[in-house]
Amino acid sequence: MNDLVVHLLLFVLVAAVIVVCGAFYGEPDDGRALRTVPMRLAWFVGGCTLLVLVVLVIEHTFARV
Amino acid sequence: MSWSSTKTNEPRGDPTMATWLGWIVPGAGHLYVGAPILAAVAFMLVMGLFFVGIRLSDGMVFEFLDADLRGPIAGALTPEVGNLAGLVYYMKAYGFGPGFMRSWPEHIHLAGWLMASSGFLNVVFVVHASTLARLPKDVMPRAFAPASQLLAGWLVPGLGHFMQGRRRRAAVVFLMLVGLFVLGTVLAEGSNLDRERHFYYWSGQFMAGAPVMLLEALHGHARVTHDITYADAGLVFGCLAGLLNILCLLDVQAFGLKRVLEEAQREPAPATTTAGAAA
Repeated sequence: MNDLVVHLLLFVLVAAVIVVCGAFYGEPDDGRALRTVPMRLAWFVGGCTLLVLVVLVIEHTFARV
Repeated sequence: MSWSSTKTNEPRGDPTMATWLGWIVPGAGHLYVGAPILAAVAFMLVMGLFFVGIRLSDGMVFEFLDADLRGPIAGALTPEVGNLAGLVYYMKAYGFGPGFMRSWPEHIHLAGWLMASSGFLNVVFVVHASTLARLPKDVMPRAFAPASQLLAGWLVPGLGHFMQGRRRRAAVVFLMLVGLFVLGTVLAEGSNLDRERHFYYWSGQFMAGAPVMLLEALHGHARVTHDITYADAGLVFGCLAGLLNILCLLDVQAFGLKRVLEEAQREPAPATTTAGAAA
């Protein structure tokens, strides 16, 4: 399988675990915590994507190889 | 309300002070809240584990650390920091060794586990002392909650939630964290299961408890003889499983403490509220 795809799959997996743990920590009620997971996951993945884009822009602008 | 009942309903002390004292010297938090027997038990267990670890390793566990990472606060990111007196003594007495490579004693990995476990065990005792400080004298939390739930949640991720009756959360936490750790170990082909190879990552995954202990005993410390494609990802996953368990343990502690305080408030009078073992 393509290396990028494997990395993306691993990222989504670990993101899901982080988000569920965060939801459990922030919300004592199990049902309510699990219901917030999709939105939290979307924010988390969106935020990470933004961060990747910023890093790529900085790399292409300033990095010298 | 009479003067005497007001007085007996006063908390034993300041939880912050109990926490600081217990962290600095094992058992000092219990001594502060008036539980001398528990103080002695805490001191003997925590320091006993630590000194057995030192004895088995000839004081060489921190020699695992790469030379360029050594420094006065290098121990701050290790589980041993939970037992501050032990860590300070260790750094004074043994530090990072004589500065040249020596062969490791036979049981050095077991010794590392014992020393690290003493740090977490002291955290458990500190949580108990801090809980006692919030309660009136003569009131003991049932079954050492929430400290016992914290210990269980470290040993098996999710077990602390299970003991609190939060079974769905327990199952999700167990499947996610143990699954993440096992996946990390598979990706790293077991190369993550070694404190000598990955001193600080090991400290993170140590927080996932018995599953780490078990896999390390079964597979750990093997030689790496080829390139492992996803070694780094596996290492991060294993470490992350342990770090996320800290988040889950904070949830266990907060929920357990809330419940203990609610139970204590419901109890009618301190003289009839000794629900657990007396200190």
